[in-house]
Amino acid sequence: MSFEFAACILTLFFLAGIGTPVAYSILVASIVYLFASGQSIGIAGKQLMDGLYQSFILLAVPLFIVAANIMNAGTISDRLLRFCIGLVGRFRGGLGHVNVVASLIFSGMSGSAVADAAGIGKIIIDMMTKSGHYTRGYAAAITAASATIGPIIPPSIPMVLYALVSNTSIGYLFLGGILPGLLMGVVLMGMNYFIASRRQFGMEDPVPLKDLPALTVNAFPALLMPAILLYGIYGGVTTPTEAAAVAAFYALLLAAFFYRALSLKAFYRILVESARSSAAVGLVIGGALILNFIVASENIPNMMAGALLDLDVSPIVFLIGVNILILLLGCVLDATTIILVIIPLFLPTCRELGIDLVHFGVVAVVNCMIGLITPPYGILLFVINAVTHIPLGEIIREVIPFLLLLIVALLILILVPEVVLFLPRQLGYQG
Amino acid sequence: MGTITRWFSRATEFVAAILMAAMFATFIIQITIRYTARLSWIGEAVPFLAPDRYGWTLEFCLLMWVWIVFWGNAFIVRQRDHVTFDILYTHVAPNVRKWFAIISGVAVCVALLASIEPTWSRFAILRLKSTATLDQLFGPDLKMRGIYSIYIAFLVIVALRYGWRAINAYRNGAEADLHHYAEIAEETDEEFQTADPK
Amino acid sequence: QDKVKLRLSAVQSETDQRSVAMLEKFGPMVADFAEFEPHWNGTLYAQGTELEAIASGDLEMSITSAQELATFFPEFSIFTAGYVHQDAAHQVAVFNDPLMDPFKKKVEDELGVKLLSVMYLGRRQVNLRQPKEERTVMTPADLAGVNLRMPGTDAWQFLGKALGANPTPMAFTEVYTALSTGSVDGQDNPLPTVVDAKFYEVTKQIVLTSHLVDLNYIALSKAAWDAMTPEQQEKVQAAADAAADFGRENQLKKEEELVAFLEEQGLEVYEPDVAAFREQVQKMYLESDYAATWPEGVLDKINALGN
Ligand code: NA
Ligand code: NA
Repeated sequence: MSFEFAACILTLFFLAGIGTPVAYSILVASIVYLFASGQSIGIAGKQLMDGLYQSFILLAVPLFIVAANIMNAGTISDRLLRFCIGLVGRFRGGLGHVNVVASLIFSGMSGSAVADAAGIGKIIIDMMTKSGHYTRGYAAAITAASATIGPIIPPSIPMVLYALVSNTSIGYLFLGGILPGLLMGVVLMGMNYFIASRRQFGMEDPVPLKDLPALTVNAFPALLMPAILLYGIYGGVTTPTEAAAVAAFYALLLAAFFYRALSLKAFYRILVESARSSAAVGLVIGGALILNFIVASENIPNMMAGALLDLDVSPIVFLIGVNILILLLGCVLDATTIILVIIPLFLPTCRELGIDLVHFGVVAVVNCMIGLITPPYGILLFVINAVTHIPLGEIIREVIPFLLLLIVALLILILVPEVVLFLPRQLGYQG
Repeated sequence: MGTITRWFSRATEFVAAILMAAMFATFIIQITIRYTARLSWIGEAVPFLAPDRYGWTLEFCLLMWVWIVFWGNAFIVRQRDHVTFDILYTHVAPNVRKWFAIISGVAVCVALLASIEPTWSRFAILRLKSTATLDQLFGPDLKMRGIYSIYIAFLVIVALRYGWRAINAYRNGAEADLHHYAEIAEETDEEFQTADPK
Repeated sequence: QDKVKLRLSAVQSETDQRSVAMLEKFGPMVADFAEFEPHWNGTLYAQGTELEAIASGDLEMSITSAQELATFFPEFSIFTAGYVHQDAAHQVAVFNDPLMDPFKKKVEDELGVKLLSVMYLGRRQVNLRQPKEERTVMTPADLAGVNLRMPGTDAWQFLGKALGANPTPMAFTEVYTALSTGSVDGQDNPLPTVVDAKFYEVTKQIVLTSHLVDLNYIALSKAAWDAMTPEQQEKVQAAADAAADFGRENQLKKEEELVAFLEEQGLEVYEPDVAAFREQVQKMYLESDYAATWPEGVLDKINALGN
């Protein structure tokens, strides 16, 4: 490791550690690197601008943020939730199942787990605690666990970011996420049923079956959204980036005209708030682009690939090793940072070892989403704690069984690539 | 003073909303055009919809995107909106936190100020470089340097903001910007209140 | 004495014929006085920003295109126009002819970039989803209404339109999916790209329009060149030429072999009425704003160097 690179890493960790925003920590650290290596510190800004101005697929990020904000503000989430209660509320652990199913459906529209937890998650936690059948920690825990599914089922901002760094097709990554997302949903519901039976959680009053048609009709246009998105992408109408715009546009039509739940003023606020979060995310992405430049000039990915190849590890050992590392990093780092900065380090080795990059990407994204609920740094835990004021300790205690289960699901995805690759192959993927 | 700041922050938010809306609308136009382009009679019957008039959409969206990012971070993104690793920051004593805020404020301020001139010199060559497709929209006088100039504005504004943050922390401590998850919670509440169906 | 460091940044992969040529010929031939350090896949500088990096002294070498040069100097669009270069040999003749001197000088003076040698990229062909019996393309009129994916800049889109198609911009990584689902009807690229990107799996025919004999230039920082001794300059020039020659031969051989391969894969590969295409495309260019930027008489000189 060169002196300038060490200085860069030290600055980065120091500044981020004392609470400087990650994006600015990266920017300052890269300026330190360029200065120490005798290069012009103007390169940082040039790299950042060039990277952002060229990455067309990144445009999906602000658009998915707009879509998620519209859905949260325009009662679409609400209607979906009532539909889910009618559907699975009648079983043991009812609202727990509702929670998972709502995440599965909602995730077909939003690209972000945090939007999922802050929006629909808050409503359902209130319901669960008010019902008196669940502890508040349990309600928060299953909400957090099921929110991780959001970015596994398409659309997905993290997958867009992975597509950016790995140059793989977003279309296939999205397809690859569907079965793993369903698998995670099924295991979470299984665990919920198991815990609800063992701890003798009370049953909810079932919604009369005769109400189900009305609830379905009410939610139907919203339920159509995932279908429209997938048809848009795989039916050849839109590129995946454009699909994000279609999602936002459809949500807007639904909320404003069909459900009449969105005023012009509320839409204006959504635009401002979306611009705000897009800008914050965009700067982290830009920072990661500079770091990738530094890592490339230091030739680190190739050195790592070389070292790993000398060790002669098998692809499966490599995959498991990388995933353990990502899980550990997920305890302390943000998912965006891991995908943009850490994952690119392993891509050359993946190519050398013949590991499929769509498989690797989906597995890595699932892993990063698990990281959203691993303490001490789990953004979903924080957001739910903030939205509901349920103490972090209680949430963490209850989330652990779900966490272990999701790790088992992750292991299945690593060992059985077919779960990821089956659907992409059906639509022509050659991996 | 308070009125001016509020007016200013509303104006900058308005610009951000316009950039966002323009990007969103352009995407919808692009998809519509792609779709109508398959029916070649539409382009002939309605020249306004002829696909070759819309070559600029892709790059225009990129232009909106980089302006959203840098305009946004210069003016409307607050400290608490950033991705921040704040475990340590929230758990240290107020006096230590104050120094954390001062150090990061000074570091960001100094680094960004120092990079203004070298960055501008890297952009210099772009005064010659044409955009790929935006001539259709803005004419040939818009060069890449004009598009990239928002980054320079971003450097100046953010440097000033963090310099100010350091000074403020030195005078008043850094307790004001704690509790940012609680603020997210309040905002979410507000959103749901405004969104209640009639 | 320390060796000169020659960092090269380019977007193509390590296995691309241009990369192979640089690695096998250029690197070894300058090894006694220079350390050749290539970065492939655009990992160092993003696509289209290499010339700027060289201009500001942050990079020494790149493999650049006439399209990129044209964003700085519009007159380079003559080398991006359809049916201007006739074949690989014609490209070399044009590059080495005095007509090229003002072009090279302008790039040196204003960008600080020296164009060392011309690399052959291949002849771009039209590659369609529909089988030949559904759509046989003999003249530009036969491409009417075809959504043809072309790179997303005005220059490429113009070429697509000149061919008679309906050009659609799209990122290269999305093209395979778009072809398999039908969001575009076709794409244009040299045959080696059709094979490398596996487009043959999702398309049915290749029309050998040869509408653009595409090229790249090996570019070197003028400052780095001026810092070398005359012997070193001679060696660098010879190494660049050797790499270009080596790459050209390989690419020509590959293009020839691939026709048979593509036919084995069930694609129909045939020649249209190339004269009809050439006539329409040249006519459209001459009427366009592009031709207005071409220096007087250069097109005639280029044509005179061909057959
Ligand atoms: Na999703
Ligand atoms: Na975590």
